Amino acid sequence: MALKRRQQGILTGMPFMANLASRTFVDDLGRKLYLAKRPTRVVSLAPSMTEILYSLGLDEEIVGVTDYCDYPPQARAKPKVGYSNPNLESIVALRPDLVLAPSTFLRADTLAKLEQLKIPTFILEAKAIEEIPSHVQTIGRMMDRAQAGDRVATEMRRQIAAIRATVQELPPLRVLYVLNTQPLITVGPGSFIHQMIELAGGVNVAGRAQMPYPRLSLEEVLKEDPELLIFPIGSAESIPQNEQQQWQRWTTLSAVKHRRFHQIAADLLNRPGPRIAQGLEALARIIHPEAFAQGPGP
Amino acid sequence: MGLITGQTQSEERRAVVSAPVVPAGEVAAPMPTAPVGLSRLSPLRWQLTLSALTAVAVLVLLICLQFGAERIDLAEEIRVVGLAVREGQAGIESAGATGVILMQVRLPRVLLAFMVGGCLAAVGVGLQALLRNPLADPYVLGISSGAALGAGLAILFGLTGTVLAFSALPLCAMAGGLLSVLVVYRIATAYGYLPIHTLLLAGVILNAVFSALVMFVTSIMEPNRSFGMMSWLMGTLTAPDYPAMLVLAGYLMVGLFVLFRQAASLNLLTLGEESARSLGVDVETVKKTVFFTSALLTGAVVSVSGMIGFVGMVIPHAMRLLTGADHRLLLPASALVGGLYLMAADTIARTLLAPTEIPVGVVTALAGGPFFIYLLTSRKGRLA
Repeated sequence: MALKRRQQGILTGMPFMANLASRTFVDDLGRKLYLAKRPTRVVSLAPSMTEILYSLGLDEEIVGVTDYCDYPPQARAKPKVGYSNPNLESIVALRPDLVLAPSTFLRADTLAKLEQLKIPTFILEAKAIEEIPSHVQTIGRMMDRAQAGDRVATEMRRQIAAIRATVQELPPLRVLYVLNTQPLITVGPGSFIHQMIELAGGVNVAGRAQMPYPRLSLEEVLKEDPELLIFPIGSAESIPQNEQQQWQRWTTLSAVKHRRFHQIAADLLNRPGPRIAQGLEALARIIHPEAFAQGPGP
Repeated sequence: MGLITGQTQSEERRAVVSAPVVPAGEVAAPMPTAPVGLSRLSPLRWQLTLSALTAVAVLVLLICLQFGAERIDLAEEIRVVGLAVREGQAGIESAGATGVILMQVRLPRVLLAFMVGGCLAAVGVGLQALLRNPLADPYVLGISSGAALGAGLAILFGLTGTVLAFSALPLCAMAGGLLSVLVVYRIATAYGYLPIHTLLLAGVILNAVFSALVMFVTSIMEPNRSFGMMSWLMGTLTAPDYPAMLVLAGYLMVGLFVLFRQAASLNLLTLGEESARSLGVDVETVKKTVFFTSALLTGAVVSVSGMIGFVGMVIPHAMRLLTGADHRLLLPASALVGGLYLMAADTIARTLLAPTEIPVGVVTALAGGPFFIYLLTSRKGRLA
């Protein structure tokens, strides 16, 4: 739905607004970046950035992506520059006039080197889901696609608000998000997915953990008794059989009694990009299927 | 002759006699004097020491069972165990979450810690005696990193099937451990016999190579898988189910039994190979037996617990100070105390930041490292 509208944006969101906007941008690290003209060679250092660029109708401008940029499919064909430790030489060889990067996976020395090489680098780091539409708008203005950016952002905000309204009144269910079964690793407060679970009408059973990605004690799981287990999975897989078996042992868990093992496409939740509203909806539908049963949803 | 220089000849000899562990690579064998501890070991002392240690182990077990993400006090503990013994599974479930936590999560985990710690310590004793090197343990010889590589490859290729009720991951880990032993052994026997210092060097080199390969495997994994792999490498004890644990316990018992049977030969071997040979020990057979048993035990242990360091190095040293160097007592005593130590370390690992757990390998290293340094500096005469 949102995707179709975005593609209309390619035709309508043309650079009429260019000279209206200020050409100085402040990134999430507080660094100021002045762009004299619209960048034409952009390197994306995160799958979410790549998705944002495509959602604005850009394609030719994207000259380099990470090894994990697989959406939309045409992103796979772009030159790769690595991921957490990107290859600086390949980046330089692509002669970018803008590098978009997240701060979590970008090492400080890589950033310092990019600055030293005078490659304009812009850091975006979404701490909360509400920041993602703003990121889309920022990149839209940088790339002279302000109109398309506004449209994508408005649609995302509308979807997010609709999902929140749908699940708000429902009793929250206890959720365990299983990143790894043995040892059990899950998401805790401070992680992005923890927020998403709470927004989608769930309660994270790892809420007492002190860190974003804790190794959670199985004892805590048994005590908190999750009502559903959610397994993030890659695009083509399903929940591995042996992981399911390992969980079947704990017959006293509500999630096991009621056979509520669910899977969700990890990319929808992990990437703070334009598909995050879809991810939130998928999560809300898993946690509260009854709320979405009547109609086609928000 | 020892690690610490500047000793006089007589001091050296005393050091060797009281703690017959000397570094490899030394040409001159010590005088074939019987170690002081040997003649003194009476059956009574053997029984007393081991029963005292068993009692302490049971006590520690009861204490460890009380702590975790949720505190369960002794009265509750006894009540739930009573229920479980009388009514089995139904009794456990009637005690609610506490019952399941105590009987199906905590108890198997504490028992697993005991078995793993015991094996690591016993293997440490065996290898230290065999190599006459105080630093020898399964890690130094590359056995553990071989096992880790096996497990890493299993995770990388997503091998999740089961063979004869064993899941693929432990089997790959064991295969890796065995492979590294074969390679080390092959390198070391290039001259037709098994020189101790070559064995140690081969182990060190193989360890480096395998560690590099493990890092390579981790680096090319999908990020979410490598996350799991890294925590696995840092040492993890998770509750196995009872049938799997019985199989493991049986396997480990056989291995430990084989090791214990070599105790008398190990005593003589610590005097030096030549002396042992002249006293009628079939040195090559003893070396092979101890070495391969150690490898198989380590492979099994690493496959269920990941990399847990320092137990195999520190516990044998501590026990040598406490019980003397006679392997007939040292081996079982180290096994008991190693198990006890890992039970306690794992309790700290699961309580310190509860409900978050920290890797138990971190706890054993942080507790064991300083202790080892203390031993080295304060008792150098007995360690060297």
